[in-house]
Amino acid sequence: MLELNQETFQDFIKGETPALVDFWAPWCMPCRIFAPVLEDLSDELDGKVEFGKVNIDDNPDLASQYGITTIPTIILFQQGKPVTQMIGVHSREKVLSTITSHL
Amino acid sequence: MNRYDCIIVGSGPAGLEAAVNLSIRGKSFLLFGNENLSIKLETAPRIDNYLGFPGISGRELQRRYREHLASMNIPLRTEQVNLVYPMGDYFSVATNKNTYEASTVILATGTSPAKLLPGEERLLGRGVGYCATCDAPLYRGKTVAVVGWSNEAALEANFVAELAKKVYYLPVRKFSQTLRDNIQLITSPPVEILGEHQVEAMRTKTETIPVDGVFLLRDSIAPSALVPGIQVENGYIVVDADMQTNLPGCFAAGDCTGKPHQLMRAAGQGQTAALAVTRYLDRKASEQ
Repeated sequence: MLELNQETFQDFIKGETPALVDFWAPWCMPCRIFAPVLEDLSDELDGKVEFGKVNIDDNPDLASQYGITTIPTIILFQQGKPVTQMIGVHSREKVLSTITSHL
Repeated sequence: MNRYDCIIVGSGPAGLEAAVNLSIRGKSFLLFGNENLSIKLETAPRIDNYLGFPGISGRELQRRYREHLASMNIPLRTEQVNLVYPMGDYFSVATNKNTYEASTVILATGTSPAKLLPGEERLLGRGVGYCATCDAPLYRGKTVAVVGWSNEAALEANFVAELAKKVYYLPVRKFSQTLRDNIQLITSPPVEILGEHQVEAMRTKTETIPVDGVFLLRDSIAPSALVPGIQVENGYIVVDADMQTNLPGCFAAGDCTGKPHQLMRAAGQGQTAALAVTRYLDRKASEQ
């Protein structure tokens, strides 16, 4: 998963391929558990969805721009616009079905 | 990472009886719960249907439970469990302090008597949060209300106050901790969380306080939020006769599985779950 920052974020979400962004922080224990699940899904959806992550400690402006008040939060973008978001940790199946329902 | 045979979430009669049985069976496990073991037990003035102990008080039973744990050298960990996640052939568990791994899990989380506040569900993740230690850093320099049901909630309010500009603390129960200077105590009970797209204010019986966020710190988290993918009906975890849930290796016992909410039923289910865990582990071992 691509580590995003203020400079790279916009290009990433505006790409041709839908983009999933994981907002996380190192001190968030549930984020640590969720991360490998998303890594795994990024392999499964290779070529269909780009996966990236935003460390909200390093990028507080991005977090506030997207109204992130709970982490982890994942947002699916298409052509730069958020199409769905999931707050908190969810089962692998639920994340997969939510993403694919928007493709 | 060390992988335990089992992690028990909850320290009421179901969780403790499970711990006692796993200990007797020589399994490695962690027991997570509250300092007071069970608030329902602590506040029961008199119990008449606990076989062998007619008329015993909740506090006396609580004292005996503690002695029983101590006599078997079973430590109780008071970290708050925020997430139990099925990883395939094991479970990852996140607390407010660490992550752990176990081959099986026994959920003995009881039921939370607290009802949802109006606005809570709609604004969840939009300013409403359940884990202060997880999300407090997102409120740096902001104003936050903390509603505390549990005894540890005041400590979490203090943690939030280290980062936030101002904190309003609304205790639902008595607490003993000293609050930081930038915390204002609100004794009027919380009524509703207000806000269109994001939390804007906390309404109490007597006033409306503008805030950027609200932390609701209850004794227990709803099972569906604690364990993604677990099957729940009418708020209760669905189990079979072995206390097995729909997730292989994940068991549940006590009030979180349904009514009647009785001490002996809970303890019996805790024992059943522990023995089912033992069989499950033996089967796994023989498969390998």
